[in-house]
Amino acid sequence: MRGMTDNPASDPTGALAGVRVLDLADERAIYGTKLLADLGADVIRIEPPEGDRLRRRGPFAAGGDGEEHSLYYVYYGSNRRSVALDLESDDGRARLRRLALASDVVIETEVLPRAGIEVAALLEEQPALVVVSVTSFGTAGPWAGFASTDLVAGALGGFVATTGDVDTKPLNGYGELHHGTTGAYAAIGALSALYHARETGEGQLVELAVHEAVPSCLEHVLMWAWHHEALPFAEGDVLPRRASLHWSDAYEVMGARDGSVMVTVTPDPMKQLAWLIEVGAEADLLDPRYQDPEEPRAFGLRMMEVMRDWVANWDVEEFFFEAQRRHFPYGWVLSPDRVAASPQLEDRGWWGEYDLGGSTVRGPGAPYRLEETPVASRRRAATPGGDTAEVLAEIGWVD
Amino acid sequence: MARPLEGVRVLDFTHVLAGPFATRILGDLGADVVKVVSEARPGNTPVGSYYRMWNRNKRSLALDMSTERAREIARALAERADVVIENFSPRVLDRWGIGYEAIAEVNPGVTYVQMSGMGDSGPWRDFVSYAPTVHALSGLTYLTGVEGREDIGIGNSFNDHQAGLHAATVILAALERRRASGRGQRVDFAQYELGVQLTGAALLDYFANEEAHRPGGNRHRYEVAAPHDTYPCLGEDRWVAIAVMTDQHWHRLRALLGDPEWARDPRYDTARGRVDHSDELDAHLERWTSTLDATEVQDLLQGAGVAAGVVQTGADLVHRDPQLAATGFFTETEDSGAYEGPTPVDRLPLRFSKTPVDQYRAPRAVGADNVAVLGEWLDMTEADVRAEEAGGTLR
Repeated sequence: MRGMTDNPASDPTGALAGVRVLDLADERAIYGTKLLADLGADVIRIEPPEGDRLRRRGPFAAGGDGEEHSLYYVYYGSNRRSVALDLESDDGRARLRRLALASDVVIETEVLPRAGIEVAALLEEQPALVVVSVTSFGTAGPWAGFASTDLVAGALGGFVATTGDVDTKPLNGYGELHHGTTGAYAAIGALSALYHARETGEGQLVELAVHEAVPSCLEHVLMWAWHHEALPFAEGDVLPRRASLHWSDAYEVMGARDGSVMVTVTPDPMKQLAWLIEVGAEADLLDPRYQDPEEPRAFGLRMMEVMRDWVANWDVEEFFFEAQRRHFPYGWVLSPDRVAASPQLEDRGWWGEYDLGGSTVRGPGAPYRLEETPVASRRRAATPGGDTAEVLAEIGWVD
Repeated sequence: MARPLEGVRVLDFTHVLAGPFATRILGDLGADVVKVVSEARPGNTPVGSYYRMWNRNKRSLALDMSTERAREIARALAERADVVIENFSPRVLDRWGIGYEAIAEVNPGVTYVQMSGMGDSGPWRDFVSYAPTVHALSGLTYLTGVEGREDIGIGNSFNDHQAGLHAATVILAALERRRASGRGQRVDFAQYELGVQLTGAALLDYFANEEAHRPGGNRHRYEVAAPHDTYPCLGEDRWVAIAVMTDQHWHRLRALLGDPEWARDPRYDTARGRVDHSDELDAHLERWTSTLDATEVQDLLQGAGVAAGVVQTGADLVHRDPQLAATGFFTETEDSGAYEGPTPVDRLPLRFSKTPVDQYRAPRAVGADNVAVLGEWLDMTEADVRAEEAGGTLR
């Protein structure tokens, strides 16, 4: 993610060069259009004339132009062109319809139905079009009309019940992780339907509900509900929240002298035991009572207790690097300022530069590295409606 | 009816969750996913419920990669694959002679995804990780929790699912690129970098303002909004999430509460005031929610247009969620595969109008598809395959 230029919208070096995406996504799916934009698609985001509501989301920073910029929007809304349309007017809705028909992919969150545009009619006119429609709960069913946010989505979707401790409230994850999950699914829906359209000429409607996206990404949760009777350590069909202790009992964040580290005996508890023995910290782990085949959990649980005492005496940095030197998959619990100083990210040249109106700010790079078609910051988050004339001219719109 | 990725061939060397979740998605979408497994590597076989969750809609090919003949077969398969995906430690596939360079030479269209923990360069390149490791190193553990606690973090291997979703995305993007260029490419996929970019706005805030984000409980990170938390209800460990995003929502909630004296406190008139005094505000609200069933609170608020929802457990989702029951989100496999009886599944949450994803096949026994896969991909006869099986290569 190096080097920002105001290149033409469709960067020929991006994997999705030449794919035109109409971005009608609110916070529930904007991460999906961000993924496509960063991969090089020509993403055209529609905003109301007064500007996108998401531009008012924090955190904020002053740019070189003296304006306050939404860092949320800088992150989620970059690499796009912006077209301002008043969807309250017939003219605005007609332009929207025309833009949709001129696209390969439309990703929308309940915008088309509000604008009175029927997907079936679009597909009749442009059969290869792919429309991904994202809702919170689906278009039918008892909760179809429910309001939602990322917190409510995380609660109803089963995530929040997994996170927190017995002495805290159930917690949602940092940021808007479930909207991220939904956005990623929207990108997959768009690109897989596009694949089919390229092969056959047949486009289609792809529907996605946040409420179905969330439960698909919960690791043990559905397994526990379905297969708890087959799990030797499961008591009941729900695992209570218990801070960082993983469902397998084998991973936990432990406190060292001056910080915390995620410690696990996976994948090889015997190798872990050997390290404890090497430094004389094995305590009573060799006691026969922990080798009882009738009590398969006894050894593992005792191991975690012994490790807690052992870890408590370490300097956290030294401990983390020593563990990794020995190929133990431990993880130092780092705050964002420490993450920002990661030697690994620095060495890999991972960070990107984001335009902040006349100045630039460092920010996250891409989640993957394509050797031939690197992901890049190509354009700053456009000014609201800044590309309206250019885009309308491209699709041959005549007032 | 055809599914969207019909005809795409995926050679799958992944194990545990991140990689298998990626190929589960591709398999659901209709790709021919051939999962390479071996009785010689018992951690990656249908024994146990975990494997059962992530390996539907894939075919099973047994290859004992410790043998030269198995590596030869793997090379021949990789030559015919659209996608090769693996999440071994760095350079394992190179040692087997099926690294990217070797395969791209004979199959320039291949998309080759290496899902490692840290990526294939840098001082941490050989660091080993699982999702909880990545959560810790990326800031997700620190940021997900409450002030004064570093030992909470996300209560499931979330980043593994994200890795699966993002790997599927990047594969589809590379396939689109190949349509134009005729060429595939290698994708260096570091699960650590994926985890870090999930905290994107916090990092931008740090670099722009030197503002180091702290654990924030259930506080909204991007908007000034309160009440915005989970609240206890009647019953054992039952909770409801409430998200009041606007002043209008607040007035509606007040009306539901009967507009009590405390709620008329002018400090609560603005979102800023409600956030600044959210401890007191939440204590008042808890006194109300504690007397009610979580579903009742949810339905009352939703009836007034305010976002609220029960903190549902997995058992709630599977047995009691009326919306998921109505949409038919849960179903079961049409066959038994490696197990006795069908496997319960959550559907791919993408509903395609023309190419419905409606086929769910159970995870297969090790090597159950040796004959079919080697016949279709390599034109081997059943007799050839049986001979290899007898020779110990396909186990």
